[in-house]
Amino acid sequence: MERKAIRTSAFGIVIIALIAGLVFSILASITFGNADISVQEVYQVILYEIFHVERFSAYADGAVHDVVWLIRFPRVLMAAAIGMGLSVCGVVMQAVVKNSLADPYVLGVSSGAYLGAAAAIILGIGSVFGDNAMGIMAFLGAVAASFAVLFVSGIGGRSNAGKLILAGMAISSLCSAFANFLIYISQDRDATTQISYWSMGSLASADWDNVPVILLVMIVAFLIFWTQYRKLNLMLLGDDTAITLGTDLHKARIAYMLLSAFMVGFAVCAAGMIGFVGLIIPHAMRMCFGTDHKRLLPVSALAGAIFLIWADVACRVILDHAELPIGILVSLIGAPCFIYLMIRKSYGFGGGKG
Amino acid sequence: MRAEAENIHLSYGAKEILKGVSINSQNREFVGLIGPNGSGKSTLLKCIYRILKPNAGQIFLDGTELSSMSVKASAKKVAVVAQHNYYNFEFSVREVVLMGRAPHKRALERDNANDHAIVEKALQTVGMSEFADRSFSTLSGGEQQRVILARALAQQTPCLILDEPTNHLDITHQLELMHIVKELDVTVISAIHDLNIAAMFCDRIYAIQDGKIVGQGSPEKLLTPEFIRNVYHVEAEIVRDAKGQMHILFL
Repeated sequence: MERKAIRTSAFGIVIIALIAGLVFSILASITFGNADISVQEVYQVILYEIFHVERFSAYADGAVHDVVWLIRFPRVLMAAAIGMGLSVCGVVMQAVVKNSLADPYVLGVSSGAYLGAAAAIILGIGSVFGDNAMGIMAFLGAVAASFAVLFVSGIGGRSNAGKLILAGMAISSLCSAFANFLIYISQDRDATTQISYWSMGSLASADWDNVPVILLVMIVAFLIFWTQYRKLNLMLLGDDTAITLGTDLHKARIAYMLLSAFMVGFAVCAAGMIGFVGLIIPHAMRMCFGTDHKRLLPVSALAGAIFLIWADVACRVILDHAELPIGILVSLIGAPCFIYLMIRKSYGFGGGKG
Repeated sequence: MRAEAENIHLSYGAKEILKGVSINSQNREFVGLIGPNGSGKSTLLKCIYRILKPNAGQIFLDGTELSSMSVKASAKKVAVVAQHNYYNFEFSVREVVLMGRAPHKRALERDNANDHAIVEKALQTVGMSEFADRSFSTLSGGEQQRVILARALAQQTPCLILDEPTNHLDITHQLELMHIVKELDVTVISAIHDLNIAAMFCDRIYAIQDGKIVGQGSPEKLLTPEFIRNVYHVEAEIVRDAKGQMHILFL
């Protein structure tokens, strides 16, 4: 019992350190960017906007204010929200399909979003949604693809982890085929380029209209999943064992998939496709803190937020006067890390021999 | 606790696995199920612990019909140690055993000191206290089965179902596990491959052949050379050791 108490408090310290790291990351990352603004000016703007400190009222408007408060700050919060959301979804999807190779996009969500975006740009479907028609269509595509996967995997008996993966692959190639067909027959080169950029991901669309919504969605969804840690743990033991432990996972699995499709849909809508975060962060955190979802979910959420904030900073500063699409950068960092994790033999996961 | 299965029928496609099987167990009785491979022992147990749904027939736990109970309610009555599977997830031993408390927990309820005390006690009972912080995947097969038994104990059920739990275990670990179970003061229903182990531990044995019960009774009464020949098609001799324990020698 004593040793357990020590472990619990050590875990508390980890959480506090990660929260401190997140706050530091948010504050520090605002000072990076192409515009030449001093650190002092950055914090004077922030202090003025948040606490209305009269001394700094010179920064109430003007170019410096706009860059810091209207561009950088929402963008950093967006990175945090999406990093957190994708990591949490990654953890959840890996448990739902009981497969360590799953990521938030595994069940056709990415191809669904891609098809939605292609339909919006090329066919002009969804123009009623206004400026972000592409994002909203991507959201609808993502959610529709998840429903399709659930429906297909439920045909001829109850769905299970294996059927979900197979149905996800089928729906995924179907959606990609349709999207590529649209792109191929379209004569509009601009539209094709637009889709291609969109699929590389970018946080540039962040502003004070969409950031609070996304932040709220991600935090609420994370809290909901955190309350479900016991069922997520049971999912790794398998459906049969879960029944002998008094839990029928069938409904929970559907509910988790839909909530997670909803989260990913929001992320895709706001920032396009950002791969690898939802795969690499859950893996890395599982290696450090074990599989118990009670711990895994909060550390993954915080680490994912911190990771994406700094990835976005790197995107903004690597190229002079241009920014690198974040999807490219994350994959460039993520793939070597993933290979490193993969060859570390001590690490295993539920199901087969890891 | 009393458990009864009445006239259970179950088919996989066209193949009928269980052809009207009835068994029952009295309170705190150790009931064994024996029979050749593919006779339906495990299938019958899976019906009782709700992995399979019988096509016909009823199962009662303490007189309550199983299908009218929630899975949560039945998991408070019956705990299961199934055949040994190779797991490879990074849960600690304590976390695995703590999952046995799941049926006693409401959706948002946290694990409290009482749960942790129950987990420690269960680990002690199976002699795995020192392994509490080890990763489950690093344990040997015998150790893993003892941890799974501890998880079943943490469920604090009046009935324990053992579905060939000692498969793949060497004789030391088989006997060890069965001794721990025998010491518990609960109803046990166990599928057992090894007739000598069945004879050592069971109060009463049901023999299943081809989806039907072909005999039941105490080990001494049931396990005669003729009976073993009929069910298993092997010749056997029954001897008794100095303590009076019966042993089956296969000729």
